[in-house]
Amino acid sequence: MSATALEVRLPRPPWSVRGIVVLALLATAILSAAYLQLGTHSLVPSAPGLHAAQKFFVRALSPAVAHESDVPAGTPPLLVNALRATGMTVFIAVEAMSLAIVIGLLLAFAASSAWWMGDPSGAQSWWLRVVRRGIVPALYGTARIVIAVMRSTHELLWAVLFLAAFGLTQSSAVLAIAIPFGGTLAKVFSEILDEAPRDAATALRSAGASPVQVFFFGLLPRALPDMIAYAFYRFECALRASAVLGFFGFPTLGYFIAASFENLYYGEVWTYLYTLFVLVLVVEAWSGALRRRMAI
Amino acid sequence: MTREETVRALYRRRPRSIFLRVSCAAVMVLVALSWGSGGFAADAFLSERRLRNLQRFLTELRPHPLQGREFDVAVAWQWTLDILADRGLAAAGATLAISMLAIVLAAAGAALLCLPAARNFAEPDAFSVSLRPPPPAKRALWKSLTIGSRSAFVFARAVPEYIWAFLLLILLGPSAWPAVLALAIHNGGILGKLASEVIEDLDRGPLAALHAAGASRSQIAVTAIFPLVFNRTLLFFFYRWETCVRDATVLGLLGIVSLGYWIQDARARNHYDEMFLLVLMGAALVIVADVVSAIARGSVRRSS
Amino acid sequence: MAAGVHFQLRGVGVQYGDCCALDSIDLDIAPGEAVALVGPSGAGKTTLLRLLNGTVRPARGTVAADGYDLAALSASELRRVRADIGFIHQDLALVPNLRVLQNVLAGRLGRISFLQGLRNAISPSRQCITDVYAILDRVGIPEKLYQPVHRLSGGQRQRVAIARALYQRPRALLADEPVSSVDPARARDSIALLTEISRERNLTLCMSLHNVELAREFFPRLIGLRGARVVFDRSSGVADRELSALYDLRPEEQAS
Repeated sequence: MSATALEVRLPRPPWSVRGIVVLALLATAILSAAYLQLGTHSLVPSAPGLHAAQKFFVRALSPAVAHESDVPAGTPPLLVNALRATGMTVFIAVEAMSLAIVIGLLLAFAASSAWWMGDPSGAQSWWLRVVRRGIVPALYGTARIVIAVMRSTHELLWAVLFLAAFGLTQSSAVLAIAIPFGGTLAKVFSEILDEAPRDAATALRSAGASPVQVFFFGLLPRALPDMIAYAFYRFECALRASAVLGFFGFPTLGYFIAASFENLYYGEVWTYLYTLFVLVLVVEAWSGALRRRMAI
Repeated sequence: MTREETVRALYRRRPRSIFLRVSCAAVMVLVALSWGSGGFAADAFLSERRLRNLQRFLTELRPHPLQGREFDVAVAWQWTLDILADRGLAAAGATLAISMLAIVLAAAGAALLCLPAARNFAEPDAFSVSLRPPPPAKRALWKSLTIGSRSAFVFARAVPEYIWAFLLLILLGPSAWPAVLALAIHNGGILGKLASEVIEDLDRGPLAALHAAGASRSQIAVTAIFPLVFNRTLLFFFYRWETCVRDATVLGLLGIVSLGYWIQDARARNHYDEMFLLVLMGAALVIVADVVSAIARGSVRRSS
Repeated sequence: MAAGVHFQLRGVGVQYGDCCALDSIDLDIAPGEAVALVGPSGAGKTTLLRLLNGTVRPARGTVAADGYDLAALSASELRRVRADIGFIHQDLALVPNLRVLQNVLAGRLGRISFLQGLRNAISPSRQCITDVYAILDRVGIPEKLYQPVHRLSGGQRQRVAIARALYQRPRALLADEPVSSVDPARARDSIALLTEISRERNLTLCMSLHNVELAREFFPRLIGLRGARVVFDRSSGVADRELSALYDLRPEEQAS
């Protein structure tokens, strides 16, 4: 072997690319700060703000267990109220997620190339060719556009729209979360379906299964664990969204947080905040345990 | 045993997860309870009054200069441009700037705290096996560091960014900082959790080898751990940036200057047409961010 | 007993982009025959097998199964033909998070409707379960009926793949390197099993193998492929000289 075969070419130092990326990001941050005219001076809290913040954070260690003021007779105790609000938050989130999953699955099937671009085996009749070339790409494209529109608007903005259109009802809240979340689920589900390993699907196809059978029994089982894991993550987000909708008047945790805050009952605010915290923790622990059980 | 009996015996002994079954049942019970809580259907969703409301709303969506006239594209376009020039574009720029600053700050925070939060890194004998177990005091110190940083991440994540912004507004007054910091804190928790999970999934072998060769913990962190974690976190970074754009739009509803502010303003003045236009603009912004983010992620994937 | 599938290739050529995978292949595999494909990597063994069940369409020539030109069949006719041909893939292609029972049941999807398949997936009938158990018994892993596939070893998974192909009740079996990642003793067992079952049920068997010793031992007919062409096609004794020429690295192919 000649000496040239033994020469080792040093790889380009990884620092250069990463360093450039980091510098670029820092530059963007500084430019953004300049555009917003943010200076460190505005980071210093104003005197009344500081005072209020102090009073607020001091209560973090001693959240209220009973109403902090005189309440009319027959008002449920604070903790019962917190529980009711939690229940409402959970119910709205669950309703929204169940709708979102249905919408998401339907759109994901339409928007996943794995579903449409199956292997065109055998000679085909002319109408099948028309469907393949014309209708299918149109459906695929439409599905993608619908998904993009649905998920680009934040659930709070949907809530604003629905509030104006339908008023303060539970269905407004549920739809406001279900629509954008359905869109996000559709996008992620279609990506999972596209990236799932197709070996089992190929095997079923060579055993003579129809395209529908290949999809449901060969591709979907491979993709299902990831899809379930993501759905649980979305559910956690739905809980948070449902809580925040309370700021707009819906009877969830956010409503009571805002109300107590405005009345300066900081202890109560922390009670509600901790309740939300515990709720999110429980769901996260559950979803983590599920993911571990389902992992291969 | 006959074949039937053998099969039945196998069936009874088959591996099954009680946890999965209970979870399934719990989910079904939750769904039944939620829909049964009666809010949705009982609303008489499509009642007479509601339909009239909806109709009124839909007519008010027409741009103001076109009310009561034939639809004229030129007039609609002019009206759109007026709003855009006056506040739309500036607000869009503010929204983007908030999102970019917030995500970079989030990444910085996550980078600082992800190492102590990673269970396989923040131990006294993470990379070596010593003959004597480390003193309990030292272990407790490291353990509290891990628990502390993990809890910080969890708390930052659990509180919705809207509530963070609400609280920070009280503290800092009306500037862009509450929005930026709220998004930075919330996303910092998310990025931090992801980074610490990536670190925990790393192969112990190469790191232990480096330690045996004499590298200190911080040297190992910089030379070995950081490059491995960087790429995966970068992908998620761009994905979260897109989410930040969406959230920054909405934080304006609280009064901070972004698109959301003008949306709220239009709604308060009952100018539903303008409100709708600005919502559409927010959606367009997110779609653009989505495309940019997808391109960025694609090039990161290709180069790694 | 139904006769095995009769395969005929006439002047077949397959092209992958610029690369010619197969060139001028003329082959006749009689019903019930057992054939081994041997040759170096990249010679086209997998492509040939995939031609036989219609997964790959030839650029030139015709591929016929039982007299039907595969390229001329409609989608549903092709599915019916494929339901008669069992294929054991090199990477096994099982669904790891499902049980062995469910994986094997999927083999017969080509003959049942979608709804029936759904019913089998959720709660299979007793007859189905007994059938699957019988097949698993035949391949040697009856106790794994309800185990999830990801808990099985490589050799056991391979047997599940064989079971799935057998459950299909095919008239032909195509096996792509079914023993390349298994230890020698187990490899022998598997090949013996497959040849035995094919003889019992009168299936046409076509298997691609790297191990020429095993090929000579178990298969009456050997087809050697190299450089996209058939180099030899012998029904009786292949000379050692020919086999080593088949696998020989030519001077210009040696790494410099």
